[in-house]
Amino acid sequence: MKKTPKSLLIAAVAGCAMLFSQVQAQAAESTFETVQKRGYLNCIIGNSFVGFYTVDDKGTWSGMDIDICRSVAAAVFGDKEKVKFNSVQWAQSFTSIKSGAGDLLSKGMTWTLSRDSSQGLDFLDTYFYDGQGFMVRTDSGIKSALDLKGATVCVLTGTSSELNLTDFNRSNNLKMKTVVFDDASVRTAAFFNKNCDAMTNDRSGLAAARSTALNPADYAVLPETISKEALSFAVRQNDSTWANVVKWTFAALVEAEELGITSQNIDEIRKTTIDPVVKRFLGLEGDLHKGLGLPQDWAYQVIKQVGNYGEVYERNLGPDTALALDREGTLNALWKNGGLLYSKSFR
Amino acid sequence: MDNQQKKHGALLKFVPRPDRPPITITYGPVGWLKKNLFGNLWNSLLTITVFFLLFLLLKPFLEWTLFKAVWSASTRRECLSISPDGACWAGIFPWVNNLLYGLYPDALQWRVNLAFAIGLLWFVPLALKKVQQKILFALMGVMLFPFLANYLFLGGDRSSVHYIVACSALAYLLTLYINIILTYLNGKRLEQHLETFMERFSKKRAALLGHSTIWFFLTVVIAYVFKDQALEHVGVDAWGGLFLTLIISGVSIVMALPIGIILALGRRSEMPIIKWFSISTIEVVRSVPMITVLFMSVTMLPLFFPNTMELNKLVQVLVAVCLFAGAYMAETVRGGLQAISRGQYDAAKSLGLGYWRTMIFIILPQALRIMIPNIVTSFISLFKDTTLVSIIGLFDIMLMARNISIDKNWLGLHTEPLVAISVLFFVFCYSMSEYSQRLEKKLNTNR
Repeated sequence: MKKTPKSLLIAAVAGCAMLFSQVQAQAAESTFETVQKRGYLNCIIGNSFVGFYTVDDKGTWSGMDIDICRSVAAAVFGDKEKVKFNSVQWAQSFTSIKSGAGDLLSKGMTWTLSRDSSQGLDFLDTYFYDGQGFMVRTDSGIKSALDLKGATVCVLTGTSSELNLTDFNRSNNLKMKTVVFDDASVRTAAFFNKNCDAMTNDRSGLAAARSTALNPADYAVLPETISKEALSFAVRQNDSTWANVVKWTFAALVEAEELGITSQNIDEIRKTTIDPVVKRFLGLEGDLHKGLGLPQDWAYQVIKQVGNYGEVYERNLGPDTALALDREGTLNALWKNGGLLYSKSFR
Repeated sequence: MDNQQKKHGALLKFVPRPDRPPITITYGPVGWLKKNLFGNLWNSLLTITVFFLLFLLLKPFLEWTLFKAVWSASTRRECLSISPDGACWAGIFPWVNNLLYGLYPDALQWRVNLAFAIGLLWFVPLALKKVQQKILFALMGVMLFPFLANYLFLGGDRSSVHYIVACSALAYLLTLYINIILTYLNGKRLEQHLETFMERFSKKRAALLGHSTIWFFLTVVIAYVFKDQALEHVGVDAWGGLFLTLIISGVSIVMALPIGIILALGRRSEMPIIKWFSISTIEVVRSVPMITVLFMSVTMLPLFFPNTMELNKLVQVLVAVCLFAGAYMAETVRGGLQAISRGQYDAAKSLGLGYWRTMIFIILPQALRIMIPNIVTSFISLFKDTTLVSIIGLFDIMLMARNISIDKNWLGLHTEPLVAISVLFFVFCYSMSEYSQRLEKKLNTNR
């Protein structure tokens, strides 16, 4: 009888060792190979975020982040549908990437130093520049965030918005009172029901909330932007092969817009172009694809199936959508138009 | 009177009796109102005040839900322009299908319906009086039905073992129903026809052998008939809505009881390893919130498996929920076990029954009967707890309902879907509690 605990112990040690060795093996293989073997991409998104990832009653996902994921699938497999969307809560996003449950995280997450350095992620590029703002009722007469002295502000708890609000409050000595909420729609409803004087969130989120009001003209977004929110996509840390694929897929979206290639005219351009830059980009010349390990026509597939950055923006955030965000004059315009979107050279 | 009349011999003058008091209606609704609500001035005043308060409370609610509600519109904006103070039920209708089936393809939803219909059929005979061996076929249902349901829900290329088990489930149900019909027609049960033949092999188990033979035969027939029917694959990620909620709560409710009983018996056991294993399982699982157990199973489990192995999210959730429900059930069962007096154990011992026989035939039947209200309460709370899986991104009915508020056309519509699904939840929970009360009454009459 004395022997049982000993053998149990040995079994436990062996089990642990096996698990450990598996974790080791996992780290050695690039996500790129895993994805190719699996045959589809696992993309980590959130539950819902208007304009960035929403599912309709047919079960089709759409939004900015969805298109980022689809473009990577189009680059790797030549088929934008070969992607599975896993919606997870904020708290779970980092572990999903670390555990390998997701290959790519794109859920409107702000690129911050602490997330980049201590959560096992590598942020790669920013696809949307946002900033935190305030929304008030127009009849309140408030014209600037500095007028919000002593006001009550509705905010989502656990977000960077809450922290930024505290900072802004302290640095300007505004003595604002915060009312925290866990659910975005409840927060918005509370604001509309006059439970707080102002509401704070990323400006895109404010625009979405404003559009749901009974009469949107009753509400105004204040001009101040109190934070930098660079919404970026990320992959598992220290996996350059995979990071390159994702990074350059996004670069292709921007590059295509710079070159004036859209999903509509790409076939014609491919046939008629004499521009070596375009030829290289579309894989008609050169061997840019080899370093990435992608098919020769990967950029063509991405633009043909998903469209360039401008098309993606228009489709999800542009004037015809619920958010109705103007692009010109903001940071999200191309660098030629004074924005921050700048594709590195395809050479 | 008669004597008096005879004595006097003469007719007495007719004296009318005093008038009866006016009729007070003590029956029917009017009588009830008078008796209970307007008995005296004080009661009348109270009634009027309370009704007035009720009216004040209900009026805005009814106005919002019914009188000012919008029933048909194509967007929320349109709803708001028609009636800004009313509910916008129009937004629910396009989503009803999703609320019920999740993202299950429309054309294949008959499979879900069929599986649930078969499931219902399986449990209908439990309510019939003449049916015997209810426990046996309930057990068979619990063991076989999941295979059949899974086969129908999932479709695609399943292993042949799975296919055969699914067919055998169907065959078993068929024999069950044929037998029920035969019993009601006072005919011989199926296996009784074969009994004389089977007695050649085994006198004692002739009926069982007969039944198994018919069952086996039917399985083969069914397997042959459906062998070319290929079902299109529908991945688990497309399951959702009420369908998913019912799967999760159904599986966990069915699993909770056996896990609970085993853990409870383990906890009361005198063998130290079993005892401490049970205690630690129960206490660890019970001391953490369900959401933590869910997170653990979803984020930690993949760490223990190789990268390429896809772990089904639903299975992870089911494991977590079953474990959680089992741990709670264990304590409920233990409470029931402790309510059984020492005398019952001693009596069983003096009859020479061993541990398992004592438990199965003496203690558990009594204990379970006492525990019905508690068990059903935990089932109901479990049913509601399953909405937590929306947090880890399974599109159950809760997440589907919340999703309506971010649909492009229905942006901001978040109250109405929640009201709608709370009605649905009420229906389910209330019928569960009604059923438990009927069960209690039925079982108590035997005492």
